[in-house]
Amino acid sequence: MYIGKQYYPHEPLYQTLTREQQEQIHSSALRVLWEQGMSLTHPVARSLLAEKGAIIKNDIVYIPPSLVEWAVRQAPSRVTLYDRNGKPTMFLEHKNVYFGTGSDTTLLTDYESKTSQPWTLEQIAQAVRLCDYLENIDFVMSMGIISDVHYSLNTREQYATMIRNTTKPHVIVCDGKEDLEDVFRMYIAVRGGREELRHKPYGMVYNEPTSPLVHTDEAIDKLLLCADYGMPSNYATGSLSGATTPMTAAGTIVLSTAECLCGLVIHQLRNPGAPFVFGYGNSPMDMRTVQAAYAHPVGMQTQGGMCDMARYYGLPSWGEAGHGCSKLPDEQAAQEGMFTIQIAALQGCNVTHDVGYNNFGLGFCLETLVLNDNAISMVKELLKGVEITEETLAVEAIKKTGCNGDFLRSELTRKGARQMWRSELSDYLPYSDWQGQGSLSMSERAHRKVKDIIASHYPEALDPEIDAHIEDIIRRARMVIPS
Amino acid sequence: MENAEKLVQAVMDGDEELAVKSAQAIIDNKEDHQEAISRLTEAMRILGRKFENFEIFLPEMIMSADAMTLAMATFEPILLATETNRKKGIVVLGTAFGDMHEIGKNIIKTVMTADGFDVIDLGKNVSPIEFVNRAKETKADIIAISALMTTTMHGASDVIQLLNNAPSGCTHKVIVGGAPTSDEWARRIGADGWAPNAAESVLLINRLMER
Repeated sequence: MYIGKQYYPHEPLYQTLTREQQEQIHSSALRVLWEQGMSLTHPVARSLLAEKGAIIKNDIVYIPPSLVEWAVRQAPSRVTLYDRNGKPTMFLEHKNVYFGTGSDTTLLTDYESKTSQPWTLEQIAQAVRLCDYLENIDFVMSMGIISDVHYSLNTREQYATMIRNTTKPHVIVCDGKEDLEDVFRMYIAVRGGREELRHKPYGMVYNEPTSPLVHTDEAIDKLLLCADYGMPSNYATGSLSGATTPMTAAGTIVLSTAECLCGLVIHQLRNPGAPFVFGYGNSPMDMRTVQAAYAHPVGMQTQGGMCDMARYYGLPSWGEAGHGCSKLPDEQAAQEGMFTIQIAALQGCNVTHDVGYNNFGLGFCLETLVLNDNAISMVKELLKGVEITEETLAVEAIKKTGCNGDFLRSELTRKGARQMWRSELSDYLPYSDWQGQGSLSMSERAHRKVKDIIASHYPEALDPEIDAHIEDIIRRARMVIPS
Repeated sequence: MENAEKLVQAVMDGDEELAVKSAQAIIDNKEDHQEAISRLTEAMRILGRKFENFEIFLPEMIMSADAMTLAMATFEPILLATETNRKKGIVVLGTAFGDMHEIGKNIIKTVMTADGFDVIDLGKNVSPIEFVNRAKETKADIIAISALMTTTMHGASDVIQLLNNAPSGCTHKVIVGGAPTSDEWARRIGADGWAPNAAESVLLINRLMER
């Protein structure tokens, strides 16, 4: 298995649901799809479903189990995402884990003033360059809504900025099929053709139903477009348990699974075999503050169940980590980050997004992103596990050292000393050295690192011809800005 | 226990059945319904404070507001002819265009109704022109727009732009809310107010009505 670029010979044993519980969730989701049905008004989706045995009454569609199970068999068990240069970098299958940012927050946290401000286009470019640099960030999402361009151009500007400022693959969130198709056109410019894009997807698309049980025309439009292009897509509810899904983790898993399977069926009916990523996000609603409790243990339990269900269906999984409710890159942010990153890695959550989110996902913090990059690095090291070979068991070295000796001269120590896990960010200095370097806290060091990277790191330049194509797509969209 | 006291207790407990029964008993026994209503209003204010202080949680608050709304509906026939029947104001409420999320909006509707406003619920996925037309038709004081998604929140600014372009005479105030929205954003798009939650939204519209 892989976590980012790191290969592991063994998968972790962690599991949330037993096989029997997975069967129960599956049966319950099938009951919701057939007994309760889903609200769906999209005419194309309705006729695709009706032709294959779904029952339609008014705006509700009832999907039979056989159709769901047919769709599960059609969808591929693995999806590969490729970077800007066409190199395969993310293998979405089994328990592989890849980490990336989230999209479309409204506010960026300013470390020095402890305030949050709307994002500018320049700040998005800086944040993407930061992601390009960070070793443990495997893909990028837009992070922020750009406040200094017209809202109808926001997504196009976001993806142009992402293409220009990093070679890493994307996860795409768009308002509707028009801007999504423009983003696909940008990717086609990068790849050199539509078939080339289908062969080497430069990203996957985030689509979502509206819990409970509603599938909007806009969401289905985007889902069908992905199927047509062969661009990987998920269909992930962002639920609030207690409000939009049942309060219980099991009930949330059932409802979200049913909604996701509804999307899968429509997607596979449109284009059997098109790449699909299973999954959904959940944050319990805090009934005191009416806020989504991000990085909550119950939400992460739900995610564990969802990852198990993805593997039950033989589909890649989607989830979140490195996010939280804290407003600053403080102790709470560090706890939320480490807790969720570690558990997502154990859960084998293939596409783990939202790294760097704060303030319930309404805000983003570059320092938190850098702290979490460090946390991912630690977790990667942890999950390497214990290597057992004749050499690592070290019986000969123990005998050679003998009683009351030391291993400082041992071949194993000499080899291992340079390979030992280290971090640019964690402090392992003696007290006086730490003091000599300014007595900085970890978030202060993270802030310094953010500033250094933004000032000094520039990604591999984009081919000017491709850049011109992309600019042309934005220019055409600019011409039709609504007054 | 006297009926007014029972009514207050029923609303505090979120017991819809007992609230309606107690309100009906007040009417049947020709007890002072005005006194009961003012005690209920005070009870809701206390509940609002308890919610703010995390002493009660959203489900309890919602159940109390539902019981309050039903109790007020029970009193409506005897209030019809009187001055006191006048609602505090008219609110046209809906979820921004393209947004199908209704839970936040429904919470707002419940608490605003319980506070004595006439709330006209346009539902979800409401086009900017529909907001404006319905506000005009109903002579609404306030247009309240809810958005849960970053991709739909700009629907609120479209409503404000429409109002700004409309011929003079449009005096509706616009308030906005929902998870991705903020005070700063509301000011930027020219809204008259923003509230972070349902309880604050009620205070906000009361303030706007005083202007």
